[in-house]
Amino acid sequence: MSIFDAIIQITASFFGTLGFGFLFNIRGKKLVWAAFGGMLSWALFLALGFLFESEPLRYFIVAICSTAYAEALARLMKTPAATFCIITLIPLVPGGAMYYTTTYALSGNAQLFLPKAAYTLELAVALSLGIVIVTAATKYILGLKHKEK
Amino acid sequence: MEKTEINRLLTCILEILEMMVESGAEIYRVEESAVRVCKAYGMERVDIYATTSNIIISVEDGGTIKSHTRRVKQINTDIERVHRLNELVRNMTTNTPSISEIAEEIKEIKAAPVYSAPLIFSFYGIIAGAFYLFFGGRDITELIISTVTGVLVGVISRLLGKINANRLLGRFVCSLFACLVAFAGLRLGLAKSVDHIIIGNIMTLIPGIGLTNALRDLFAGDSISGVLRIIEAALLALAIACGYIIAAYFLGGAA
Repeated sequence: MSIFDAIIQITASFFGTLGFGFLFNIRGKKLVWAAFGGMLSWALFLALGFLFESEPLRYFIVAICSTAYAEALARLMKTPAATFCIITLIPLVPGGAMYYTTTYALSGNAQLFLPKAAYTLELAVALSLGIVIVTAATKYILGLKHKEK
Repeated sequence: MEKTEINRLLTCILEILEMMVESGAEIYRVEESAVRVCKAYGMERVDIYATTSNIIISVEDGGTIKSHTRRVKQINTDIERVHRLNELVRNMTTNTPSISEIAEEIKEIKAAPVYSAPLIFSFYGIIAGAFYLFFGGRDITELIISTVTGVLVGVISRLLGKINANRLLGRFVCSLFACLVAFAGLRLGLAKSVDHIIIGNIMTLIPGIGLTNALRDLFAGDSISGVLRIIEAALLALAIACGYIIAAYFLGGAA
């Protein structure tokens, strides 16, 4: 991927995430932080490309970092974590992979369809795992804190 | 607490819970909020069961037992509303304001501003355009088609929401429309390929929020709501795919 493409993707992920912020009625400072989070997620995904080849692995790592960002920000802004959790991962939604899966299914090309479908699933699972690990860890840590009081 | 007072309080609480579910809060948050608020107001016993379509609550205090149910029909993600309801719940658990104060606050939350329709429509367009570029489209005419289609998809989904159309049907219609426009663009020679236009527009329809909430609910130990949400998200994705398949069947032949 060229630098030009990377810049376009990172800018686009900012505006794409910002757009969803408006759709979900996020307001004020939270909107900017959410859009910034979406942009960071994708920048991190691209940067990780220098270290790891596997996209699902990169999805997994980004999901962990992005959910941690969301949980931390939610605590700072005293708002439910779901606010940021959903939106900062928008650029990672495998829309492209889903589309090509459907296209291959439609053209009856089983040789292309099956690997693509499996791949889409892999990305979704990697993303989910990342979210779940951080959510569970936060709950556990905060739960301990509550008990100490 | 007096009988009538319990009734009024419970109505207020249910109103809050209903709005939380409607605005897209996680179910475990809804249930936790109910228990915390009721305990703060000194109820002896609280039982709550909520799903994405139904809320059942039963409280017991000083010999009176009260149960209420609410059916939740629509889900319309509104993060600001979830945020303000959450603040209200926190206020209720720490300061236990009077019932009329709560009612006042609920009214205020209901009247809170949302972004204007034209603004929302233009952001549908911006999302579709941004993801057109994001997924590798590099053609100015296609970019314009994608953005304009996005705006129209926004208008259509608003109209469908107004007539309370089924959510599955809504996604199907939006996806069908976007794909038809893309294929028409290809047929007319305006676009070189439909791929990125369609992906850009599909991004506005994909049920990402449902899936994320599904995971959060599942992991908070609320398996029923989690599974329900996963199934709903899968069905919505299927509806989107159906829209594409039908459009491709009618207009995609030459491609």
